[in-house]
Amino acid sequence: MAGKGRKSARDKAQLEFVSEAEELLERMRDDLSALAEAHAQGREAQPATVNQLFRSAHTLKGSAGMFGFAQLSELAHHLEDVLDRLRMGRATLGRPGLALLDESVSLAATALEKLGRGAGDETLSDAISDLVGRIAAFDATPQPETGPALSSLELPAGLLRALTEYEEARLRESLARGRGLHLIEVELELSAFEETLGELSRAILEVGELISTLPSPGAASDSRIRFLLLAASELSASELANRLELDVSAVRPARGQGAPPGRAPAAAGAMAPSETKSVEGEAATLKSLSETVRVDIKKLDELMNLVGELARERAALRALGVRLAEERATAGLARELDKIQRGLERKVQELQAGVLDVRMVPLRQVFDKLTRVTRRLKLDLGKDVRLELRGAETELDKLIVEQLVDPLMHLVRNAFDHAIESAEERDRAGKPREGLIRIEATQRGHDVALLVRDDGRGIDPDQVRASAAERGLIAEDAQLSRRECFDLLFLPGFSTRSNVTETSGRGVGLDVVRSNLSALGGLVVMDSTLGRGTQVTLTLPITLAIVQALLVGVLDQSFAIPLGGVRETLLVAPSDLQRSAGRELLNLRGEALPVLRLAHEFGLPLPAHDQKQYAVVLGMGDARVALLVDRLEGQQDAVIKPVQGPLRAVRGVAGATELGSQHAVLVLDVSALVEDGGYRREGPA
Amino acid sequence: MRRILVVEDSGAMRALIGTALEGLEEKLEIDEAESGFAALRMLPRYAYDLIVTDINMPDINGLELLSFVKRDPRYRSTPLLIVSSEGSERDREKGLALGADAYLVKPFGTEALQRLVLDMLAAAERGRS
Repeated sequence: MAGKGRKSARDKAQLEFVSEAEELLERMRDDLSALAEAHAQGREAQPATVNQLFRSAHTLKGSAGMFGFAQLSELAHHLEDVLDRLRMGRATLGRPGLALLDESVSLAATALEKLGRGAGDETLSDAISDLVGRIAAFDATPQPETGPALSSLELPAGLLRALTEYEEARLRESLARGRGLHLIEVELELSAFEETLGELSRAILEVGELISTLPSPGAASDSRIRFLLLAASELSASELANRLELDVSAVRPARGQGAPPGRAPAAAGAMAPSETKSVEGEAATLKSLSETVRVDIKKLDELMNLVGELARERAALRALGVRLAEERATAGLARELDKIQRGLERKVQELQAGVLDVRMVPLRQVFDKLTRVTRRLKLDLGKDVRLELRGAETELDKLIVEQLVDPLMHLVRNAFDHAIESAEERDRAGKPREGLIRIEATQRGHDVALLVRDDGRGIDPDQVRASAAERGLIAEDAQLSRRECFDLLFLPGFSTRSNVTETSGRGVGLDVVRSNLSALGGLVVMDSTLGRGTQVTLTLPITLAIVQALLVGVLDQSFAIPLGGVRETLLVAPSDLQRSAGRELLNLRGEALPVLRLAHEFGLPLPAHDQKQYAVVLGMGDARVALLVDRLEGQQDAVIKPVQGPLRAVRGVAGATELGSQHAVLVLDVSALVEDGGYRREGPA
Repeated sequence: MRRILVVEDSGAMRALIGTALEGLEEKLEIDEAESGFAALRMLPRYAYDLIVTDINMPDINGLELLSFVKRDPRYRSTPLLIVSSEGSERDREKGLALGADAYLVKPFGTEALQRLVLDMLAAAERGRS
């Protein structure tokens, strides 16, 4: 092999190093966040998380060294040192330490970015040596290493000898905590042992810790393999066997664990919150670290739901005002109430906007992922393509940003794989040899538009039409507009190219992109010019307020009812309904509930009187009404969007939601219906 | 053709080691395992002439893999080289005590790896004849 060939292989390895290191750093960030979260909540960090952090730093140090990036390797080395002491339980780390680690990871990421662009890592040497100095000076509160001698344990010699220093430390820690040690023996199929071991280790983690997994010789056949697991748990051997659904004989206690030594257990990952028990102290360190708080997005959902309920209460106030205004005696009061109600409405809107704002994150996270994928694709496909990203600061609901990764990834892969021609082909077409994929995000009111554009070979709408006709998706003589032609590409299973490549996956094509987008309440539109390139526009709402909804139907119409307002559903026969004082009532276990007919509420023709109907019992506080519908169509997560135009003023409508099939249904306002049912005098004829 | 198993969770390191081994005059068949578990699945498939493994890996670590290899009669005589970043002295000692035939500390030069691999293959050859 010629020296030149080897050099390019090394370049390739180096590119791989950069993208691998990016992944390592991203994982370190995640792990550090997990540690910070555990610390903030006064929990102990998972030893596995601390160990993974250590391993990431260790790998980074090793690889960076191998590729000659001394500065980066040095920084990783110091990180590794601190993390090693941490995972060994020889040091504790408070928030300032965490912040320092965070800063190191960020600096490493910056250094890496420079390397990725072909610059050396020397340019950051001042910043790195400054940080290295601070890490070295940082007193990670060393703790003396004490603990029982492991040689006194009655463990199989082979096992003890194969434990790494870290595993030994975990073993000591478990002993110090007075946990029992158990040896678990299993023999598994070679083809499927990972799943089983994975399940076992997850189950063990719930009741203790898996310290070592030792493959062992002596399996019954070449297609099987034996494992000896060392686990620490407070459960007895038989309890553990039970818990793991193993035969009792598979789990035996390891003897000789003796009395736990006197020292207090070193917390795993040494985040023992006990040292900062004082509330004041905790608050002070919290503040000094940063002004940010991590919040579970579910809590924000709960807040959002509360805002929704507030909005419904407000609507009830308004309805009350309308009734008061009808009477001359209370008209004055009504005006005052209306003023208050309007003020309340504004505040509710501000509150809603505030909660939404907290959920917003910049698109940068997704863009970073795309950059990495592109780098990898370059390697795999050997194509020269530049990815241009604009509008990384554009903010979207965190949930949407997460859901955007797949469709965007898909579009970029498609462009890479199919759209961008080979360098030779581009040469012939008079295009620059380097292909271009540009993604541009812009906010437009309450929507965000993402334009994914490539300068590749483009798509011929006539070919799409012909291809669709061939598959019988459209009639031979169908008259389609340009846009309708491109829309065909989003039909399930449609592909203009018959070959399937690794990069774009097999046929799972644009239909997936479309269904992903519509699940987010978004739209996707494609346009293309043959020879010039293709442009896909994704339009998304900037936020989602998701509720679980019950779908019901009347005639050919569907409606969504937020599940929170549904008490129960039942099938009713016409004979279950009674009339009293002009009101229709349903006798529900002795209680007479006012009846509303959904068809009537929305001016639809009423069904035949003898037809069986479903009653959806709606409740708000103590008030209940029975809403009659023709069908129950199931439950689903509904994204409520405000309705525009004349429907906005219709009472009983909270908004609209889109079902997967892209048709919109109205979302009923439970509070308004319950309230109306309560005082309505006139039932339907 | 002689066959070598490279066990290493870092793709960049695998590529680097692979490139170094491909640079040898003798053509070698090189299999890559990205984890200890993957190595366990590959071991029974071929008779390897050499195993090169990292220590710090997810699922099972290099010492656990090493301990298995050196206790299983099928693989016991296969030479094993540990390639690991400088770090724990104890892990290195343990590796050698468990029967590793050589230990190479990262970062290392291509030539150092090539020389060591050639030596180990030659020694194994002598041992057999």
